[in-house]
Amino acid sequence: MRCVLALALVLGATGCAGAWPFTSPEWEKPPPLPVDAAVVQPGRLQRADLPNGVRVLVLEDRRLPAFTLGVVIARGAGVEATSEAGVASYTAELMERGAGARTALELAGVVDALGASLEVSASWDSISAQVAGLSQDRDVLFDLLADVVLRPRFDADEAERVRAESLAALRQAADDPGTLLSWSFAKALYAGHRYGLPESGTEETVARLGAASARAFHRRVFVPGAAIVFASGDVDPALLLERIRATYGAWQGSPPPDVGAAPKAPQQRRIVVVDRPDLGQAQIGVGHGGIPRSDPRRLAVQLLNSALGGGGFSSRLMARIRSEEGLTYGISSQFVQRHRAGPFAVFTFTRVPKVGEVITGILEELERIRREPPTAEELARVQSQRSGQFALALETSSEVAAALVDLEVYRLPRDSLDSYRGRVRAVTALQTAAVAQDLIDPARASIVVVGPAELLRPQLDPFGAVEVVQP
Amino acid sequence: MRWGRAALLGLAALGVASGAAAAPFEDPAARTRVTTLENGLTILTLEDHTTPVVSLQIWARVGSGDEARFTGLAHLFEHMMFRGSAHLAKEVHSRLIEERGGQINAYTSRDETVYFTDITTEHLPLVIALEAERLANLDVSEESLADERQVVIEERRFRTEDSPEGRLFEALMATSFQAHPYRVPTIGWKSDLEKMSVAECRAFFDEYYAANNLVVSVAGDFDSEEVLALLAHQLGGLRRAEHIERNPTEEPEQSGERRAVVHFEVAGPIVAMAWHAPATGHADGDALDVASEILSSGRTSRLYRALVYDRPVALGASGGYWALARAGLFFAFAQVRPGASASEAESLLTREIERLRSEPVTEAEIEKAKRVLEVGLIVGQGSSHALASRIAEEWIAFGRVRPLEERLAAIRAVDVAAVQRVAQRWLAPTGRSVVQLLPPGEEGPR
Repeated sequence: MRCVLALALVLGATGCAGAWPFTSPEWEKPPPLPVDAAVVQPGRLQRADLPNGVRVLVLEDRRLPAFTLGVVIARGAGVEATSEAGVASYTAELMERGAGARTALELAGVVDALGASLEVSASWDSISAQVAGLSQDRDVLFDLLADVVLRPRFDADEAERVRAESLAALRQAADDPGTLLSWSFAKALYAGHRYGLPESGTEETVARLGAASARAFHRRVFVPGAAIVFASGDVDPALLLERIRATYGAWQGSPPPDVGAAPKAPQQRRIVVVDRPDLGQAQIGVGHGGIPRSDPRRLAVQLLNSALGGGGFSSRLMARIRSEEGLTYGISSQFVQRHRAGPFAVFTFTRVPKVGEVITGILEELERIRREPPTAEELARVQSQRSGQFALALETSSEVAAALVDLEVYRLPRDSLDSYRGRVRAVTALQTAAVAQDLIDPARASIVVVGPAELLRPQLDPFGAVEVVQP
Repeated sequence: MRWGRAALLGLAALGVASGAAAAPFEDPAARTRVTTLENGLTILTLEDHTTPVVSLQIWARVGSGDEARFTGLAHLFEHMMFRGSAHLAKEVHSRLIEERGGQINAYTSRDETVYFTDITTEHLPLVIALEAERLANLDVSEESLADERQVVIEERRFRTEDSPEGRLFEALMATSFQAHPYRVPTIGWKSDLEKMSVAECRAFFDEYYAANNLVVSVAGDFDSEEVLALLAHQLGGLRRAEHIERNPTEEPEQSGERRAVVHFEVAGPIVAMAWHAPATGHADGDALDVASEILSSGRTSRLYRALVYDRPVALGASGGYWALARAGLFFAFAQVRPGASASEAESLLTREIERLRSEPVTEAEIEKAKRVLEVGLIVGQGSSHALASRIAEEWIAFGRVRPLEERLAAIRAVDVAAVQRVAQRWLAPTGRSVVQLLPPGEEGPR
C-alpha cells in the first residue's frame, strides 16, 4: 500500500487521505445503481410513416460536421431460394457498381472525390444501402443514394465482373479455418434449408447469378413496405424529412416477400470433421437450433447466454476453458436470432491434442447450466452486465440510429431501447432456469471440428459416430 | 450540445462544394487537460458529457521493441496484468468490470502497451481503484505464468501460425528489418514463450512500469477535479524510475532488394512489399499518407484499378504508410485471386509504385486523397474511447496533443511535387523487401 500511505501525506489537506485502506476498497462495495437515462434525448429524434409503408427516422446530432444516410430493407439472404443462395449479397454489391446516369467508375468517382463512403451490404435479415460523409455534401450524397436504391443499373459487364470476384472471394474465404467452421456448422445443422448454406452463397449457386437475377431480386425485395430510411448526425430534420417524402413517398412496389419457412435443426447429434491436415489448432463448434428474434423469451435467453458463454471473463465457459485450464485464447456462446430461429452455438479453438478435452468441458457446462441454472447472484451480475453493455453500445448517434433501425427490421416495439433496462431487471431466476431447460440440450448438440482428421477422430469417437468431410 | 454549435452555424449556407475543405469546427481534444504528478505520472483528462460513458486508458511506454532477450515478453506481461494481485484473485479485475457492462482489454504494439476500460460513468472510481491495485500489488506466480503462457501460445497459433496473413506479416517484418528490434513479432517466437520465467516478468515490470513511464488518459463523462484527486490519491505513490533502458539498435541502410517465400495451404497467394520509411512525426509523413490514399482509397484508386478492375488479378490491393516511434514502413499488398499469378500481381504493384516515382500524380487525385484523410480525421472523434486513445497517442509521440486544425493544415499543404519527392526518396527498388505467400509446391521468382 505504499501509494496510499505516501499520498496521505501529500493530500492531507484535500480530505482524500485516509479513505482507503481504512474503509473497504471499491471492489467490495455494492455497485452503484445504474442510471436509467433516456437513450434518445427529447427532440432529437423525428419519425414519419409514409402512406406507401416507408418508415423514416432522423436523429440529429450537430457535434461533428458529418452525417450518415441510409435505406435498410427488412429482407435479406433469408428470403432466397437455396438454388439462388448469394443473390442478396450479389445484388447489394452490384448496386454499388452503377446507378442512374452513372457507371460504376463514375459513381465511385463522385463518392471518392468527396472523401465519402457508399456501402450496400446484405445480411440474413436485411439489406442496407448507406452513404456517409461531410454534411456540406449532403445534397449530392442524398441524390446518389436515391439512384442506388431506386435506379441501380445492373450493367452486364459489371454483373460479370462481380460474379468472378464473388467466386474468387468464396474460394479464398475457405482458406480461413474460422470461416470454414461457420460454413460447416451451418451445413451440419440446417442441410436443405437456406440457413444451411453460407450467407454469400456457394460456388455452385453464385456461378448461376447474373444481371437478370440481381434485377429480379431487387424488384422483389426493394419495396416500400420493407424500407426504413434513416439519417443521423449533422442534418436539419425538417428539411431532410421533406426531401425524403419527396423522393421515397412515390415509391411503389409489391408487398414484401414472406420471411421464409422455419428451419428444422436435427434432433440427433451429428459429429463432423472437416479435414485440414495442415492445422496445428482446431476450430470447434458445438450447438443446435435456437430461437427467432421475435421469441418472447429472448431477454431471459440473452441473460442465460451471458452467464454461460456470452459474458467474457464472467461467463462459465471462459472461466473454465481459458482461465482455469488455459486451453484456448477465446470461447463464446451465442443464440443467433434471425427472422427465423438461428443456431445456438459455442465456438472456440484449441491445439489439436486437446480437442476432446475441450469438447468434454463444453458439454459438461451445457449440462451444468440446466442442472444448476444461474443463481440469483449470478443473474444479478449478468443483469448489471447487460444494462452497462447496452449503454456503452449506444454511445454515438450512429449506434443509436442503427439500434432504432434494427427494431424496425424486426417490427419490435419502438420504445424497446428506453424500456430495455427495466425489462432486463424484471427477468427472474425462474425464467432463466426455464429457458435453460427448454433451449439447451447437450444430448442433441452437434459437434463440428476443422482440423487434421487423423488426429481428431480418436478424440471424437467417444462422443458418437464421426463423419469426415473434405473442405 | 455544449460545443461545436457556434462553429457550425455557417455550414447550412455552404451547400454543395465538391472537393472543398471541410468547414471549421471545434476540435474536442482541444479541451484536454494535462496534469503531472510528483512521481512523473502524466494524466490527460478530457471531459465530454454527451453520453454517460467514460474511457480510462493506461499507456505504458514499452512494447516488443524494448525486448532485449526474450521475445514476446511485453505482450505476455500484458496478459499477466490480468492474473491477480495481492488483494484480488486472477481475472477478478476483468470480471468486476464486465459484470458492470464495461469493456476491458489491452494490446501490445512495438512501442506501447495499452490497457483500457470503457464503462458507464458511475463505475469510474472502481476502475481507478483496480488499476491502482494491479500497478502497486501485481502478483506474478509460477502457476499463473504457466496457465497464461499456454493461452498466449494459443493466441500465437490463432493469429500467426494458422493464419496466412499472420505468417506473411511475420516474414515481411523479419525480412525488412534485419537489425532493428521491430523485426521480432510482438507476440514473440514460440520457443521464447515456452522458456519465459517469473523472474523475467518481475524484472520487466520493475523496469518499465514506473510512474514516469506511464500515461493515464481519461475521456468522457466525468468531473476532472474529482477524477484527478482520485488518481493522485491512488497512483501518486507509484515508484519513479531514474533511468529506463531502451534498446539502442537501429536499422542500417538497405542496399538491395530482399525476397522471401512462405508456403501455406491457401487457394489464393498473397504478395507483400515493404520499404523503409520515416518514424512518426517526420516531415515527409503527410505526403506519404497522401500517396497511400492515391494508391488505395476507393474504386478509383490506382491499385484497385490496376489489379482488381482493369486486370482482374487480385481480390484486393492496397498500400499504406505505417509510422512507428523509431522507424516506419511503407507497404503494398495484393490478395491474389485463386488461379491467378502472384508474379503478375507483383509486377503490377511494382509498376504502380514506379509510376508514383516517375510521373506526377494528377491534381484531382491529390485533392481526393486529401479529402479522404480530412474526413477520416473529423469522423474519427465519435467515441470516448477514440478520444482517449488519440490524446494519449499524441502525447506520447509529440509531448502535446496536436490540434486537429494543425493536422488538417499539414495535409492540405501537400502538393503534387511533394508526393513525387517522397516516393522517389523512400520507395526505391533497392530498399524494398518482397514476400510471397504461396500454396505448397509453388515456387517464387528466382
